[in-house]
Amino acid sequence: MAAIPPQARSKQLRACLLCSIIQHPMDFRKNGCPNCEELMQMKGSPDRISVCTTTYFDGIIAVIDAEASWVARWQRTSKYVRGMYAVRVKGRIPEDVEAELESRGIKYRPRDQSDQD
Amino acid sequence: MSGLDDDYDIQDPIQHENDEDDNEQQSPIRASGKSRGSIYDALDGEDEEEEDEDDEDEEDEEPGRDRGRKRAKHRHRRNTVNRFLDVEAEVDTEEEEEEEEDEAGGDEFITDLGPEGDEDDVNRRAAVNARLDRRERELNEQDLAKIAQGLHERYGRAAVRYTGDMNEVPQRLLMPSVHDASLWQVRVKPGRERDIVFSLMRKAIDLEYTAQPLSILSAFQRDSLPGMVYVEARSAQQVNQACKGLVGVYPSRGIVLVPIEEMASLLQIKKQDLTVTPGSWVRIKRGKYQGDLAQVMDITENGEDVGLKFIPRIDLNPRDDANVDGRKRKKASTGLATMRPPQRFFNYEEVVKVHGRKQVSKRNQVYVFQNDTYKDGFIEKDFKLNALQLDNVNPTLDEITKFSRGQDGADNENPVDLSIIAEASRKAAIAVLQPGDHVEVFEGEQSGVYGVVDSINQDVVTVTAIGVDIDGQKVDVPARSVRKRFKPGDHVKVMTGQNADETGLVISVTDNLVTFLSDMSLQEVSGASSTVNSWILISSQVSVFSKDLREAAEVGSGTNVVGNYELHDLVQLDLQTVGVIFKTERDSFRVLDQNGQVRLVQPHQIAMRRNSHRAIATDSEGHELRVQDNVKEIEGEARKGRVLHIHQSFFAFLHNRDILENGGVFVTRCRSLSSLAPKGNLVKSGVDLGKMNPTAAGGAQGGMVGSGAMGRGPRDRDIGAVITVVKGNHKGYNGIIKDINGTLARVELNTGNKVITIDKQKLYRRLPDGKLQPLSMPYHQHGQQRNMGPPAGVPSRTPNPYTASRTPAWGSGGRTPNPFASGDGKTPAWNASSRTPNPYVADGGKTPAWNASSRTPNPYAGGDGGKTPAWNASSRTPNPYSEPSWGSGGWGGSASPARPADSSWSSWNAPTPAAAATPGFLSAPTPAAYTGAPTPAGIMNDPGSMSAPTPGVSGNEDDHDSDFGLVLRDPLIANKKVVVEIRGSADAGWHDGDLEFKKGYVSSAFATLSEITALFHALDSPGSPPVHVPTIYLQPVQPDEVEDHALVLRGNHKGKHVVLRESAGHGVWKVSQFQDPEAFAIDEESLVKLYHV
Repeated sequence: MAAIPPQARSKQLRACLLCSIIQHPMDFRKNGCPNCEELMQMKGSPDRISVCTTTYFDGIIAVIDAEASWVARWQRTSKYVRGMYAVRVKGRIPEDVEAELESRGIKYRPRDQSDQD
Repeated sequence: MSGLDDDYDIQDPIQHENDEDDNEQQSPIRASGKSRGSIYDALDGEDEEEEDEDDEDEEDEEPGRDRGRKRAKHRHRRNTVNRFLDVEAEVDTEEEEEEEEDEAGGDEFITDLGPEGDEDDVNRRAAVNARLDRRERELNEQDLAKIAQGLHERYGRAAVRYTGDMNEVPQRLLMPSVHDASLWQVRVKPGRERDIVFSLMRKAIDLEYTAQPLSILSAFQRDSLPGMVYVEARSAQQVNQACKGLVGVYPSRGIVLVPIEEMASLLQIKKQDLTVTPGSWVRIKRGKYQGDLAQVMDITENGEDVGLKFIPRIDLNPRDDANVDGRKRKKASTGLATMRPPQRFFNYEEVVKVHGRKQVSKRNQVYVFQNDTYKDGFIEKDFKLNALQLDNVNPTLDEITKFSRGQDGADNENPVDLSIIAEASRKAAIAVLQPGDHVEVFEGEQSGVYGVVDSINQDVVTVTAIGVDIDGQKVDVPARSVRKRFKPGDHVKVMTGQNADETGLVISVTDNLVTFLSDMSLQEVSGASSTVNSWILISSQVSVFSKDLREAAEVGSGTNVVGNYELHDLVQLDLQTVGVIFKTERDSFRVLDQNGQVRLVQPHQIAMRRNSHRAIATDSEGHELRVQDNVKEIEGEARKGRVLHIHQSFFAFLHNRDILENGGVFVTRCRSLSSLAPKGNLVKSGVDLGKMNPTAAGGAQGGMVGSGAMGRGPRDRDIGAVITVVKGNHKGYNGIIKDINGTLARVELNTGNKVITIDKQKLYRRLPDGKLQPLSMPYHQHGQQRNMGPPAGVPSRTPNPYTASRTPAWGSGGRTPNPFASGDGKTPAWNASSRTPNPYVADGGKTPAWNASSRTPNPYAGGDGGKTPAWNASSRTPNPYSEPSWGSGGWGGSASPARPADSSWSSWNAPTPAAAATPGFLSAPTPAAYTGAPTPAGIMNDPGSMSAPTPGVSGNEDDHDSDFGLVLRDPLIANKKVVVEIRGSADAGWHDGDLEFKKGYVSSAFATLSEITALFHALDSPGSPPVHVPTIYLQPVQPDEVEDHALVLRGNHKGKHVVLRESAGHGVWKVSQFQDPEAFAIDEESLVKLYHV
């Protein structure tokens, strides 16, 4: 269960570039990303937060039942915690994370819908 | 606590655990957690560590609403349990220890009493033990593996490896199937979509463990779909339930099922992909630089911040107190009312001068001023991406050239690459292609091919090639590789942009840039030809991108009218400022104000249009200056121009097409102007009637004449009308129109003592008999009432004697049914006028001088010279003011029996040859006195007055100075050997005046750059070669004898060659065509003598 930002309108809300979860930057700092903290290492590091998340996203999804939801599946977030997710996130993860993903043989899918297959 | 336990019973063990997690920190049953831990230890080695982390997590947790509630509950419970104990904290720890002991001890203590336990304690412990028991039982029943999985789910997440297992699946395999829940579209209040999605999330969490949890699976919102939220659920009922009680959701407006094939596209909606690349152009959305063009320099890695370079707006005129106190300055600068400074390149010296040296520091090549960095004159600043406008930037050429010009005004060594704009505009170009357009392929395989667009299918254009070897073939090319093709000589129309709707002829084409000669300016030239002889046609050349152009047959309807205002209108901008519109743009104007400043003005910023038709001022020589006069500056650049408007008798707005700046409009002081066309005679000596006349003199100084007249005249005849409102809120109310501005009227209502502003359309005039009629319908009684007052605007506008091209002055008036005609003779026009305070009449006040002048040539000439406003007023404009007082009575009087008493008048009325040729009263026979006559311009232009043997009078009409030239160029009249006389050449110094008073005929006339010249054959020396004479020195000679051959200059018979048969009274001849016995009467002034051998 991710922290649900208290204010929907807040301009500060940030979306994770990898899993697209939306949190208040404070939550990212305290807890990191609930899904991909292992890679992103954002906890307690504002610098990492600023490169691994962005305010430039479009569309907000409230994922209530991730396993059963088609929306979550389509967004590839059905294995992630419940919470608020962005439909589209602009930007790419930092290169080190991308390299790490590659070394694990994981395909990186940018969340800006630039490649659809 | 027991209550809690009961709850647990009805939940599955996993949730049970979860809840306990939340509780364990605050609750005293830490022990239970521990004991559980031991079990888990056996199952999972990592557990210990994980738990620690979990604890930490929870410590970090924000004090949410849930937790606060729980804590309160605990405390409450504890209070009831330990209500007899003093120190709560002590008991707590004791309890915990005890419990730990208990649990470590195992089952056998169930019934035992604790060492210090009381009745309550025993019960409680019994309950705890019972719970443990129960749980153990449950655990045993479960598959251990399942527990392990559950644990993993719970604790594993913090250290879970990112597997990205979903990432391998292609998107298309994720398409929804019939087994998936559906998406439902719900209408919500626009702007509240995000909040509602969040609310749904919170609601789902809140209700999760209640009897009625929400059964929706997800909800989402897209920024591009305002007013809608999509909810994923199995049924509409579930959606309805979820939305119940949420503010701003309108389930009543329908919960619509999204078809399964459209589900994916809802999540695929892409905003127009707005990429910023260094070098591209953006506009700034907000703040001081709102709307300014900026160039992208760099972008931060995550694409949020964009480094921009643009032209700064530094306040070089800060408030005086600004430098004194930092705080004050801040206040002043935050005020929205302060005008933003103009765009200007950063100049170190200037800024230091104004803001002080301390404010600016220099680091390397960069200046820092007020926390902004400036380089090469540009400001360099980071902006958030969402503070920028990335699409529809449409940089104009002006802006780009400004950019490329750089700080020093000289061309930069690296001018801005136009290709960037071209690139950007190319995208848009696709949209503007239409079948039938001539295009050219400029890149790719087919590069160089050109042809006509046959069809367009999305991004592919089918072009029918023209020329070369593939002529006639159809070629498919990507739309982005074609551009519209124009060649010099094409007639084009601008489709979009600032110059939209303009049409013109293409002059040159360079790549994407087309320069054409606008039709609009050409039209102006031809339209205004009556005021100028012939100007070099300098029309504005317009450069546009070819994408914005289309070939067009029509001539631009591009008007000079925006809203209620049009080009060259004098408009009031604010109380102090007026200006003249010199350029109309799509929905704004460029206005030159009286201080010479150019402003960009929206129609709504204009308070009203001013009318300066009646304004007069005095020029440097004390002569009267009027609108439409041709003047020149006596100082400075000596610019020439035509007076467009006069403001407060002090400022004159002039127009000269030769001046490119500000569309040829410039402003100057009236006092520094002198008339181009001499007025009357330019007597410097002689009596200046203006000085004799207090009113006129006053006018000259304070400008009271013009403005006074204006002030008194109503601007709109509907002002003062009694009306009834027929539409809108005030329907049925009666009132009086107090003021009118455009289509709006300010109406004072009879009831409520209220003034409202209302559309004129909604007002009907209330007639005395109670009937209503639209305001637009003429209201005669109204006009008549007006007529009594001095500003008798109405009637004068209709029967314009001038258009009839019969100047009232000339007896002819007596025969035409015009207002000047008859009444004048009978009305003591002169005296009457002299008594009224009418400024025009002020002139009339000179009556004594008048008569005197008729006898003494000099002063008369002076008066004639047009220093008296009234004069010109009457002769030129159908001026209502002049009408009653003047009535042109003096002149027309000649026709009335009353006048002839005055010998001098009658003398010129009489159609005796002597009088006609040399008007006696003008003292023509005495050349010395004739000074007034040689006002060349005047004579020329008014053919009507031509016949008038008083050159002086017609000389007033200097602004029509080119008329006769034009008459000579008239195809009906040209080449007819019209007899003319040279006048005014001596004054102007033309040929030293040698040819002055020579008569001759014109064989042909033709326009040169600046004037019209005629080929003049002198009558007295038939053998001599013809001379080229500027028509401004020519005055037509009227036929004066029976059997004279003449040419009709105007009217139905215009251009006819006639022969004078007999005189039909004053100034009228019976004539007939050369070999046609049928005679008709015609005004003398419409005739010009023909050279007939």
